[in-house]
Amino acid sequence: MAITGTSEKVALQALKASDWHLEGAFDFFYSQPQIRAVTDSRHLEELYNRYKDPYVDMIMVDGVSLLCNDLQVEPQDIVMLVVSWHMKAATMCEFSRQEFISGLQSLGVDSIEKFREKIPSLRAELKDENKFREIYNFAFGWAKDQGQKSLALDTAIGMWQLLFAEKHWPLVDYWCQFLQVRHNKAISRDTWSQLLEFAKTIDPQLSNYDAEGAWPYLIDEFVEYLFENGIVQRGN
Amino acid sequence: MSAQKKRNFKIEAFKHRVEVDPKYAEKTWKILEHAIHEIYNHNASGLSFEELYRNAYNMVLHKYGEKLYSGLVTTMTWHLKEIAKSIEAAQGGLFLEELNRKWGDHNKALQMIRDILMYMDRTFVPSNHKTPVHELGLNLWRDNIIHSHKIQTRLLDTLLDLIHRERKGEVINRGLMRNITKMLMDLGSSVYQEDFERPFLEVSASFYSGESQQFIECCDCGDYLKKAERRLNEEMERVSHYLDAKSEAKITSVVEKEMIANHMQRLVHMENSGLVNMLVDDKYEDLSRMYNLFRRVPEGFSTIRDVMTSHLRETGKQLVIDPDRLRDPVDFVQRLLDMKDKHDKIINVAFNNDKTFQNALNSSFEYFINLNNRSPEFISLYVDDKLRKGLKGVTEEDVEVVLDKVMMLFRYLQEKDVFEKYYKQHLAKRLLSGKTVSDDAERSMIVKLKTECGYQFTSKLEGMFTDMRTSQDTMQGFYASQYSEMGDGPTLAVQVLTTGSWPTQPSAPCNLPAEILSVCEKFRAYYLGTHTGRRLTWQTNMGTADIKATFGKGQKHELNVSTYQMCVLMLFNSADCSSYKEIEQATEIPASDLKRCLQSLACVKGKNVLRKEPMSKDIAEDDAFYFNDKFTSKFIKVKIGTVVAQKESEPEKHETRQRVEEDRKPQIEAAIVRIMKSRRVLDHNSIVTEVTTQLQSRFLPNPVVIKKRIESLIEREFLERDKADRKLYRYLA
Repeated sequence: MAITGTSEKVALQALKASDWHLEGAFDFFYSQPQIRAVTDSRHLEELYNRYKDPYVDMIMVDGVSLLCNDLQVEPQDIVMLVVSWHMKAATMCEFSRQEFISGLQSLGVDSIEKFREKIPSLRAELKDENKFREIYNFAFGWAKDQGQKSLALDTAIGMWQLLFAEKHWPLVDYWCQFLQVRHNKAISRDTWSQLLEFAKTIDPQLSNYDAEGAWPYLIDEFVEYLFENGIVQRGN
Repeated sequence: MSAQKKRNFKIEAFKHRVEVDPKYAEKTWKILEHAIHEIYNHNASGLSFEELYRNAYNMVLHKYGEKLYSGLVTTMTWHLKEIAKSIEAAQGGLFLEELNRKWGDHNKALQMIRDILMYMDRTFVPSNHKTPVHELGLNLWRDNIIHSHKIQTRLLDTLLDLIHRERKGEVINRGLMRNITKMLMDLGSSVYQEDFERPFLEVSASFYSGESQQFIECCDCGDYLKKAERRLNEEMERVSHYLDAKSEAKITSVVEKEMIANHMQRLVHMENSGLVNMLVDDKYEDLSRMYNLFRRVPEGFSTIRDVMTSHLRETGKQLVIDPDRLRDPVDFVQRLLDMKDKHDKIINVAFNNDKTFQNALNSSFEYFINLNNRSPEFISLYVDDKLRKGLKGVTEEDVEVVLDKVMMLFRYLQEKDVFEKYYKQHLAKRLLSGKTVSDDAERSMIVKLKTECGYQFTSKLEGMFTDMRTSQDTMQGFYASQYSEMGDGPTLAVQVLTTGSWPTQPSAPCNLPAEILSVCEKFRAYYLGTHTGRRLTWQTNMGTADIKATFGKGQKHELNVSTYQMCVLMLFNSADCSSYKEIEQATEIPASDLKRCLQSLACVKGKNVLRKEPMSKDIAEDDAFYFNDKFTSKFIKVKIGTVVAQKESEPEKHETRQRVEEDRKPQIEAAIVRIMKSRRVLDHNSIVTEVTTQLQSRFLPNPVVIKKRIESLIEREFLERDKADRKLYRYLA
């Protein structure tokens, strides 16, 4: 219950289905369509109003701060990204009414206490390969300016450092260094998403890097940069 | 009729046995045996053919065929053994003659014997599976004479010795040789081959091996080839005179192998006389000989081709990267053309116009021309030079010849789009300064480019010609109209250029003198009156002016200057002296152009209509300029500013190249979109290959640039990566 954040009833269901094996119970649980716990829409309205900005029908920076406080998490904690993903938030540091309410509904929470209890399981979602990829790719659209096609370099670097703290990639610091020295421009969506593939599939010594591998040119340049500066030995 | 008893005729065999005299066979045989002896002893005239034939016939009929046959074998063998002795006894040179003579005799005898024994030959022989008489005779000759222990070796040695002597220059009896070899052939091709041909080939091989070694030590390549050719011809002649025709191919291949194939590399690379020297010195005869000899051996042609190719590449490369050559673009191109001409002639005259050699030449040229990335610019400058003055007075046919040759070089260029850019610039200058030697020649060049590269390549160039013609019509219309009343104002000639067709140049306007301005405005009014919706911008950096100037002692000169220079000079109508700053302010000409303009007016000997203080070469901000009263020139008309096509300076070159790269990007994108639209899904490497193929007639796209374009198209949502396989791209409709 602590890990999946589900109710006792569902937990018992899962354990029974798997013959009381803990691992099996997890498998069972996660393969079920998420059982929506019933939420009280009145509570959700109240909750929204607590955080909503006085002048605009949105939760803005101050509201988000307050929310984080109530949830007992830091505002730059990566779990907020996961929360935003569930809410399908359009952009960082803002939640619309629709996003907030339907987000909480899908999480199955209607009070701060329930929300707080859900936090560990949300954090755990980052460990799931597929979910991590979805959250990673979501982060691009979320972190960039609404009007822009590309993500500003500084923001991108910040996001990468946050994300790759969760999913360890040894080359992340060199990557950020390289971008600041050689590229100094915004990051395209394709480069963003392909970087994750690169981090996942190519080993840090670049032994399985294939120059014909249709990687974005920025990544090819990064590889050159690593060779030129002796960070990785050529001819692997 | 009385009833006669019918008699039945019955035929019955003899009731009594016919007794053949047992001695009959023996007697008959003796007659025949005697006859054979007589035949061999040249006494055949006393014999009766009919009688002998009958005797033989009877023997066979009475079943004595076997006796007859074996008797024949025995008798003939005995005679042949005697003959063998007499041949063996022959001394020295008479050996062959004796052999030949006896062979002739034997054949005659054999024929007569065969005729006599014909009945046996036709009946007894086949049914008893015996060898027919004629063949028997040959076999017996073979076994008893040719393969006789004493004769066999001697025969072979004699023949080989004679051939050897003939090779060394002696004259031998060819008729006799022919008879002997024919004899061997008649005895059976295996006899010829085993008893003569095989050893002959072996001996020849070692002979030529030795001789070729000797030659190659002391001869140069040309001489060696002459000798080899001579030997080859000798052998062929030898075969035709006294050997079997089938030996020709075998002996020639021996000579080819020993004299040519084994020494090919050494010959071709021989210092001071090898292939490269022959090419350099245009030794057509030697090259032709080499071509004809080497074609006979495997790898012969490829050896020549390879050496020629690497020589061409090296020479071409030296030509193309030599910094001295690069000073004069026209000379540079002329040298390339000369090199092409030279080698075309060699291939034509000496190498039989062989296509594979032509291809090797083409690929070599293509290789080194593109080593220098200024080649497109230089070729365009060469054409410019020819069209401006070089082809003056040349006949129409010769013009075509020159242009066709240039087109050949053009085909070798990988970066044809760079050539296009320069050609446009140079053409614009030629057209605007009116400095083309022949309109027909210009048009001819355009047609050739169109044939080579398609309509798109030349459509803008043609647009430029059209503009020039249209401008002439416009000027006529202008002067006929009311707008052109201007009394004694300056005469204006305007060329109206359509923006898309002419090379783009950013033009900073300058302040035109008042007289000019008013005339320009009149033209503008006229033009816009007939063409609404258009915009005219004066390109002051491309114009020229003719000014009449009067100097100190009253000398009048007509100066041909650029528009900028005109603006500067007109200022001196109101002041004798102007400082740089004043000139700059008044004309508003951009600084770098102004400096160049002033330099050409004040610092060039023979053209210094202005005087500068201080007298330095460079223009400084605080210089002062004076009208040069003391200016003199031999010519009444002095040309000062010309807008002539020149080799670009480094920064200009850099700029042009950048523009070329920029122009390539949309072309690459268009190619990618075209390909993806029809293929829908394609992997990265295939896209790169396809794009390169599509664009190679214009330039060679860089794979990194292609990749960047793909990413740009992904960004703009023309393409996406496939979800499952990240190396695949998908077209988004």
